[in-house]
Amino acid sequence: MLWLIPLLPIVTGAVIAAMGDRSRRWLGTVAVMVLGATLCLTLLAAAQGWTATLIWSDAIRLSAELTPLSAAIALMVPTVALAVVFHATQHESPQGIGRLTGLMILFTGGMQLVVVAGDLLTLLIGWELIGACSWALIAHKWRAIENPRSGLYAFVVTRFGDLGLFAAAIALFAGTGSFDYAGIATLSGPLSFIVAYGILLSAASKAGQVPFAPWLFRAMAGPSSVSALLHAATLVAAGAYIIALLHPSLSVVPGWQATTIAIGLTTALAGGVTGVLQNHAKRLLAASTSAQMGFMFVAIGAGYPGVAALHLIVHATFKAPLFLVAGAAGDATGSYRLDRMRLGRIMPLIAGLAVIAAAGLAGLPLTGGGWSKEEIVKAAEHADFWLSIGVMIGGALSAAYATRFVLLAFGRRSEDDRDIAAPGWAETAGIAGLGALTLATGLLWVSPLSDALAAATGFTLPEGSTLGLVLSLICVAVGVASGIYVVRHNPALGRTGAAAAASDWLGLPTLITRGVVLPFDALARAAARFDDDILDAGPRSVAALARRGSMAIAAMDNQVVDKGVRATAAFGDWLARVADRFGEALSDGIPEGTAGITGMLGREARRLQSGLSHHYYAYIVCGIFAVVAILAAGA
Amino acid sequence: MLTLAILIPMLGALALVLSPGLGHEKARWLSIGASVLSFACLIIVWALFRIGEEAPAFQSVAEVPWIPSLGVAWRVGVDGMSLALSLMSGVLFIACIAWPMEHPDRPIAYYAWFLFLESVSLGLFLVLDLLLFYVFFDLSLVGMFFLIGRWGHDGAERAALKFFIYTLAGSLAILLAIIGLVLSVDPITFDMRTLIAAQPLAGMDLRGGLILLGFMVGFAVKTPLFPVHTWLPPAHVMAPGPVSAILAGVLLKMGTYGMVRIPLQMLRESFAAYAFPIALFALASILWGAVVALGQTNLKRRIAYTSVNHMGYTVLGIAAAGAMLAGAENARSLALTGAVVEMVAHGLITGALFLIAGGFWARSQTYDLDAFGGLAGVAPKLTVAAVIAAFASLGLPGLAGFVAEVQIFVGAFAVFPVIAAIGLLGILITAALFLRLLQQVFFGDLPTARKGFPDLSRREGAILSVLLFLVVLIGIYPRWLLDLIGSATRAIVGGS
Repeated sequence: MLWLIPLLPIVTGAVIAAMGDRSRRWLGTVAVMVLGATLCLTLLAAAQGWTATLIWSDAIRLSAELTPLSAAIALMVPTVALAVVFHATQHESPQGIGRLTGLMILFTGGMQLVVVAGDLLTLLIGWELIGACSWALIAHKWRAIENPRSGLYAFVVTRFGDLGLFAAAIALFAGTGSFDYAGIATLSGPLSFIVAYGILLSAASKAGQVPFAPWLFRAMAGPSSVSALLHAATLVAAGAYIIALLHPSLSVVPGWQATTIAIGLTTALAGGVTGVLQNHAKRLLAASTSAQMGFMFVAIGAGYPGVAALHLIVHATFKAPLFLVAGAAGDATGSYRLDRMRLGRIMPLIAGLAVIAAAGLAGLPLTGGGWSKEEIVKAAEHADFWLSIGVMIGGALSAAYATRFVLLAFGRRSEDDRDIAAPGWAETAGIAGLGALTLATGLLWVSPLSDALAAATGFTLPEGSTLGLVLSLICVAVGVASGIYVVRHNPALGRTGAAAAASDWLGLPTLITRGVVLPFDALARAAARFDDDILDAGPRSVAALARRGSMAIAAMDNQVVDKGVRATAAFGDWLARVADRFGEALSDGIPEGTAGITGMLGREARRLQSGLSHHYYAYIVCGIFAVVAILAAGA
Repeated sequence: MLTLAILIPMLGALALVLSPGLGHEKARWLSIGASVLSFACLIIVWALFRIGEEAPAFQSVAEVPWIPSLGVAWRVGVDGMSLALSLMSGVLFIACIAWPMEHPDRPIAYYAWFLFLESVSLGLFLVLDLLLFYVFFDLSLVGMFFLIGRWGHDGAERAALKFFIYTLAGSLAILLAIIGLVLSVDPITFDMRTLIAAQPLAGMDLRGGLILLGFMVGFAVKTPLFPVHTWLPPAHVMAPGPVSAILAGVLLKMGTYGMVRIPLQMLRESFAAYAFPIALFALASILWGAVVALGQTNLKRRIAYTSVNHMGYTVLGIAAAGAMLAGAENARSLALTGAVVEMVAHGLITGALFLIAGGFWARSQTYDLDAFGGLAGVAPKLTVAAVIAAFASLGLPGLAGFVAEVQIFVGAFAVFPVIAAIGLLGILITAALFLRLLQQVFFGDLPTARKGFPDLSRREGAILSVLLFLVVLIGIYPRWLLDLIGSATRAIVGGS
């Protein structure tokens, strides 16, 4: 029964995509119905504790189950997707909108499969399915070749990470004879290393952690509602989700927690700097996604996966509307350049929603984002005080880029005479719904509520020191202040110069392109030439030798055999002449005839030299026999 | 029933040859009819096939003595492996015969050769006699030679000749090995079942090794494995689409099927001794096939090289399965099941890809990737079919290739962990090369020369839908296939 949760959106999504473009009203209604039904089913499944299995063979079995943590994420995914997909049906350009809607619903289904998976094989199936969907969605506007290229980049980079999951699944099966999550904890030795680090690798690549982070920038080639879905509820979230879920089994492997923290903190800081320097609205948000996922990695590494899961949910509620408002602003101004937006006067309602969402991203007190970020600071404090300082600095960077984003995109120009229309109610509705969700997450500051929630998902919340909270809030304030300062004094930061260069993930994409992509392409071309020129040379030279050999034989054949044939003919002629000269007593006709026949045979033999040597020998033998017979008869 | 499955297409071919006045359509329907009938026989065999502990290894067996003094007889019978392969071949032959001809000249001869090829291909999978196996192995070359040489394009004769000579050289090695193998049993017999039970070369190091080498060289050429794969690309490029589909889908499987049936099953000891180098060649094929495919600029050459990659996975599974005489049975039978599923999946997927490629030639007379672009706008159905086939080929879960590859890797990891781990890289490279292919052909700007590029016709669409439906079905719910194949692979690995 649990299969219904992923299957319903996957099948209906595929059907909708195949049906082609329809009206916005039709698509919007269908999307809301399908995803609403998925949400209801998930509620039902969580309440009744559904499970599911599918037997492939005696050895292989797929399974699905809901733990408290996965149930929470399974509820978040269709909720956010509902608003985002509805927005997409109302906002995105009409060409190909049916396919877009269908694929987004399918994408959501794939994510649900990841969430409900009860074993690594099922996880891998969902994992790669969402990767393939992301390729199709990023390449959505395929007429511009740059978009499919970006889709390819995203798919290949995340698939590189998938290899880790492949390896983990294989090692788990080798160790336990099944793919079930339950077996991970029983592993030991090298197999447990392969499983733990393999899963971490694939989680890091999906969650856009360093060094895989640049694919998230390339993923910005997709429509903004695709970015919203991808960053908030699905693909990227899957990375943090899976290590949060499997944390109890993975964290016992030596070095795993420290590695996770290192990846997370590096990404949080590097992503924060990148975000502050970006002048492209969506890329700023993409960098922030990496950084926020980095926070989650830190929390998981510090031993608080429940905190990471809560931050994941809260992050989804504010990140999705941020991408949608960025899309609205970008479509209105024709580019995603932050220094050209300032649409506060033109679309005040959207601007208001942007402020609500950005406040969460900045981690301001009383917002949901602020609450879960403080929990992460506390979690980090449990691991090491200096680690919590690192998270605080990351928090300051978040506050800075969130402030910068909202002021540049939705600040007010003193005079604004641009001819831009504000989005209609249908386009605003989805964003407004998400904004309401974001506001609701602010209730997490009510501690009885958040404690109850943590208890329900089976995790404890970390205790923190007052010093940590104060320091962290100071950092946020500094971040907001510096964000305002930058907007005032250097609004076009990151458009040109060193800042622009650094804003492209500190040069990481160039490194990947120069260090991996180009050399590999060159290798492939060289290998192709090698295959044609060298590997094939062996058989070719054998063939050439054989050809030369056979020609040599043919030439010998011509010379030797032909001589034989000529000689026979000449011999016949000579015999005939002899017979002619000495056989006057005999009847004239016989020698004449003999000469004629032998001569003819000789000519015939020459004419029949068609290259088949055994025929020659046969003709020679026949010729000799004939001559002898004639002579015998004539004598 | 199996004899009928072999005989019906042969009779169909004869009927075509004897009625030269037949029109194109009638000839086509006659051959579709013959191949469907033959497939129906296989379905009946499948329906009667029993799976279970006490079920015999070979079923639907029939035997007619032929040369008793040499132990040669017309022996047919199937296990789960050969039944799965012949069913796949049956589907693919129907699809390829029904696919429109690229150049509709001499249709009667074309369809007659196709039926002839179907008959000998099914014969190869269904017979249980080594001599007949060899005869069918060689006859398949003849059928393919004429199909490529007479209906191919450009330098087709040369490519066909290269294919013929190359694989004939391989099959001579097999012939010598067969003679060596058969002479070592007393009394002489070509009965595969007896040879499997007898393990005639057990304990003979040098002789066993040499005979194994003969078989492996011959089958490696046919499969093809690195570095004896270079006949494959020209043969594919010059062959018409449906012929390419059969070449990749059915003929290549003869190599890997032979590897399992003869070296792995009859020479268990020798095979186990040399399994590691065989796995190394498989790994080389996986990586080399993928890297070289990425470097190609010709649509068909690129798909052709991915066959080298996929057959590398198959051979890796086979090598892992035969690497030990006892121990790790579960993992080894999983690897072999994966290898056989890969054969079936590759047949369907690459068959579909080559049919699609044939459609490109029929529409534009070129395979140059640079000559295409933006076709998604004018040919959406073709795009969807190509995307599904490409993703299946790159091993996306939910499609058939994944089911095969995951089992191969899981099984091989237990035996050759390092080789399996390195082999995983192949999955990444194939992803890049297929996505680039799609991007190059279907996205971006539409060249003006391709403005009128027609989408799939109804017939083409129907054929591809059937093939791709099977690919999806195997990908999501493979139990029916895995149980069938598993019944054979467990027995093979278990040594019975």
